[in-house]
Amino acid sequence: MSPKIDWKRHFGLREAGVYYALLILLGILAAIAHARGLPNYLTPQNLGNIAYQASLVGIMGVAMTVMLITGAFDLSVASVAALAAAVLVGLAPQVGFPLAAVAALTTAAAIGLLNGAIVQFVGINAFIVTLGTLTAVRGLVLVLTDGRSLMVERADTLAQMLAFESMRVPLFWPVLAIAVGLFVLGAVRRSALQLASAVILVALALLAGRDVAVAAPVVYLAVFTAIVWAVLRFTVIGRRIYAVGGNAEAARLSGINVHAYKLGAFILSSVAAGFAGILFGCRLGAINPTALQGSELTVIAAAILGGTSLFGGAGSVVKTVVGALLLFTLTNGFNILNLGASYQGLIEGVVVIASAAIYTVGGERRRARRPIVDTAPDAPPITEAGAS
Amino acid sequence: MVGAPLLTLAGIEKTWPNGTVALRGVDLTVRPGRVHGLLGANGAGKSTLIKILAGAVPASGGSVTWHDRAVRWSTPRAARAAGVATLYQHIPLVPTLSAADNILLEQRGGLRRDARARQRAAEVVAMLGDPFGLDEIVGDLPIGTRQMVAIAQALGGEPELVIMDEPTAALAGHERETVYRTIRQLADAGRAVLFVSHFLDEIIALTDEVTVLRDGRAVLHAETATLDEATIAAAIAGRSVTALTRPDTVRKPGAALLEVRDLRSPGRLTATTLNVCAGEIVGVAGMLGSGRSELLHAIFGADPAARGDVMLAGRRIGLFTDEAVAAGIALVPEDRARQGFVPTMTIAENIALPQRRHLLDHAAEAKAASAAIERLAIKADGPDALVSELSGGNAQKVVLAKWLTPETRVLLLDEPTAGIDIGARIDILRAVRGLADEGLAVLLVSSEFEELLAIADRILVLRDGAVIAEIADPAGLDEAALIQLASGTRTETGIAA
Repeated sequence: MSPKIDWKRHFGLREAGVYYALLILLGILAAIAHARGLPNYLTPQNLGNIAYQASLVGIMGVAMTVMLITGAFDLSVASVAALAAAVLVGLAPQVGFPLAAVAALTTAAAIGLLNGAIVQFVGINAFIVTLGTLTAVRGLVLVLTDGRSLMVERADTLAQMLAFESMRVPLFWPVLAIAVGLFVLGAVRRSALQLASAVILVALALLAGRDVAVAAPVVYLAVFTAIVWAVLRFTVIGRRIYAVGGNAEAARLSGINVHAYKLGAFILSSVAAGFAGILFGCRLGAINPTALQGSELTVIAAAILGGTSLFGGAGSVVKTVVGALLLFTLTNGFNILNLGASYQGLIEGVVVIASAAIYTVGGERRRARRPIVDTAPDAPPITEAGAS
Repeated sequence: MVGAPLLTLAGIEKTWPNGTVALRGVDLTVRPGRVHGLLGANGAGKSTLIKILAGAVPASGGSVTWHDRAVRWSTPRAARAAGVATLYQHIPLVPTLSAADNILLEQRGGLRRDARARQRAAEVVAMLGDPFGLDEIVGDLPIGTRQMVAIAQALGGEPELVIMDEPTAALAGHERETVYRTIRQLADAGRAVLFVSHFLDEIIALTDEVTVLRDGRAVLHAETATLDEATIAAAIAGRSVTALTRPDTVRKPGAALLEVRDLRSPGRLTATTLNVCAGEIVGVAGMLGSGRSELLHAIFGADPAARGDVMLAGRRIGLFTDEAVAAGIALVPEDRARQGFVPTMTIAENIALPQRRHLLDHAAEAKAASAAIERLAIKADGPDALVSELSGGNAQKVVLAKWLTPETRVLLLDEPTAGIDIGARIDILRAVRGLADEGLAVLLVSSEFEELLAIADRILVLRDGAVIAEIADPAGLDEAALIQLASGTRTETGIAA
């Protein structure tokens, strides 16, 4: 008995719109490149480049999506990433890369814990708290770096760091392995979707050729996304993350430790930001105090493009990553095709609002089917003063 | 009879877009200077009728005549402009504004501080007996006083017809008195009042005539003086009375399963000790604000301020919700939309919320959901339907189904039948009785005292956060006596039946 698939829903604009948008954008850019006689736009190298550029925002976006699903918000990710990078670059020459990386992640986790504890136990809105830490942590970076750029000067440590970030990972065999795995799974579970995606993966791999390779951050992003996706999709923890965001009170009264899940989301978000910061620091072996400034908004924009609800309870990490790819494809396209960088911000903003509009209107149409009630309208019952 | 009709409804029908028929042709006449009582069980169509009168929803058929003219109010504003003021059950006030600002919310014109408007508001408030200061922030007022603000707001527009949807449900005794006096004053001043209430004694004491709705029809219309409570109750309930009778056999509870010792929560609950045996249904009777929900939440560990001992079969349970669930205590909360289910999730996912495994098993979840749909007669397309798409009664069944697992040993039910139709209510009560027969200990809070009398093996009466009486044999008690016990104020104010 295979589950009935609601094709219309799965492939509708609301569910799959962000994939269409990415494909259409790539198509348009390829067409423009072709028309202008520029080299082929859709080369594996260029696509790998886009993924590489999107990887930091993607990693933060995946964690941000989890955060948004639980119904909270984290504006401080870019500052935390910068702090982690500063800690890494500052400590690496003395203690070596691995220890410095651990210190950076620990610092990030501590800030996540602080954010979460203030939000959960003092009860201040997450927007305000993380707006505060956004500023304060950036200030801390300035203090730590004394307002100057830091650099790793020891050659062996620097080499280690550069290798961690810019080593190339060949894709051909891993992708084939994943495709075979998917195929077997699809055959066992008789899922046409899985079989189809396996075939598509094989086709893509063959098309790209055996030499295609991507930078390490892309692989980190893919692995992180896959893990979080699997947790959200297949585990009770994932279900509860959605439940906490969908209705925290109902979750609590179902015996779910809401505090733990919300705190966990803050820590995950900060640790992911810390990891992104480590990658950033490794990219050049250096950090300047204004690094990554403003990218928290790109991260949130990616999540929104992916259809994550700011009210919690809904969202998909894969679509967030596609949202990030979409944003960076725009950037990349504007640069490579020389379309006039002045228009870039304008178009990005319009894309974000348009996508949010599609999700909202689609959502309303879905809600409109709701039978009103068979009885008295469900007026919220009067509760005693101070009880709520 | 007295006076020409102010408002006449003829054959009002309402079918919701999803096909649910709420009203099937209701006739109703309201005359100036009279208090008209409107009664009916949950789901009988009272709220729909009120919404139509208030202009909040359009009728699907029939006619409304206001002052001898056929009207069709399409917005609440039109109804208010014509002179119909509606007081809804929940209070639509702006909690961050002052009482005066709320009362004058509708005023037109440019200036916020208008001395004359304020004077008018002050007069209205004075008529109500000055229960609050004009400059007090509404959010700081107790719930009963907020209701008075809402009444003042409704009266501020000089309405000819005031519709009150259970205005006293949240009020304490003396506050009720004020509302009653206000209603009388309005009638004496020649206004008409349409008064909706669940409390039969109120209806008898206050109204001049009565209309009873059942299943979207007006099944009884008569002068109040010609009626007694029993007649009205029979009209409200129709066939349902028989469905809720006590079984003849005396149920035999087992050993004490849930023991609560000195459970207290500052400001909510005074030290409470009680126990519930396996297979026993203990009813908790109490008015709103008596601490009924607080008691259940404290037992369930959902009240962080609660202290005391909760023991299950002799083992102490920590006062946290996850520990309570792990031990087998289940809570069906009062406000299902806010506390009971996750609206973005399907029936199957909601039912699976309390599970304690690690990996999801969709097949098992779908099976459990299908079983629950069948057992509780949930009307839904299937396990994958969103709970937010279900009607109130069916959503409540899903919340109950969440706990139909072998692990559940104690069931705490907080108003499980509030706001749901009679059919679903009986389904739920049958299920509860069935669960108790299987050996669960059940603690049942209900405002519908007839329910408690019909189903409970023992009744605890709660008032002001304390158990003030225990009734070992509910069979020997009638509803009126229980109401009097639960609300001592009621007898003192002299309108008890």
